[in-house]
Amino acid sequence: MFDTSKIGQSFPPFTIEVARCKIHELALAIGDTNPIYHNQQEAQAAGYADTPLFPTSPTVFGLWGITEMLGHLVSLGINVMRILHGEEEYEYLAPIYPNDVLTGVVTVAEGKSRQGKNGSSMDIITLEALYTNQHGQQVLKSRETIVVRN
Amino acid sequence: MSKVPTKIYFEDVQVGDEIPKLVTAPVTHLQLVRYAGASGDFNPLHTDPKIGEMIGTGGIIAHGMLIMGFVGQMLSDYIGPQALKKFGVRFKGMTHLDDEITCTGTITEKYEENGEGRIAGKVQAADQTGDIKVTGTFVAALPHRS
Repeated sequence: MFDTSKIGQSFPPFTIEVARCKIHELALAIGDTNPIYHNQQEAQAAGYADTPLFPTSPTVFGLWGITEMLGHLVSLGINVMRILHGEEEYEYLAPIYPNDVLTGVVTVAEGKSRQGKNGSSMDIITLEALYTNQHGQQVLKSRETIVVRN
Repeated sequence: MSKVPTKIYFEDVQVGDEIPKLVTAPVTHLQLVRYAGASGDFNPLHTDPKIGEMIGTGGIIAHGMLIMGFVGQMLSDYIGPQALKKFGVRFKGMTHLDDEITCTGTITEKYEENGEGRIAGKVQAADQTGDIKVTGTFVAALPHRS
């Protein structure tokens, strides 16, 4: 059973420096050869101030990319080997570029337990993250729902 | 603030328009290893065939976020990455090795907000048998042609 007293709890802020090579590497793994993700000059020639983020680049900042996040999930009583990814959503508030330094705060937005017909149960937990850049500007919100089979 | 590069103008889009689809190459083990490194998600479920067999998923399965990435590539090709205001998906099914994913989408809304043209749409990704892997929605800001 998910401990609903954890709803509203935030984890300590973390900091990430946006790396150009991680944008290149993610687009490459996905198979997107658009040069704006792979070459700074090409991005600028296409009208971007610098290499733009790939639409799913925030995944590198979040749950699956931050090793301490797993420890936070354990602190919520979650068995991290039983996590399934349910939903993922990004709200892009302002452009993010390489060398930006982002501060992220993750909050437990929702959490509930569901009983299955066969007596099994699962917890459904939504984590929200808000990222602020080095100028104090809010640049990104992410919302992630995980399902934990108990 | 500098103008965001666009590939398409608000006036060019109509409700009901289909987004040019994206068909991927078959998913390979090497791609999942590469995606693990790129994203930081090293869950052995996606990279270690022994674990895949042990937990009964029929071998390793792709990262759901890789499939969201394919949909992201389709949207990036269509409107450019900085036009996106919101992009979200729900993960519906597991993707296995050799699956070929087709991403599709449709424009569902067109409106003005804060003096900007906005479009909203729904997207999905399915494999070669039509089995749906993700469904989702997006909102984008598009400049006016004038």
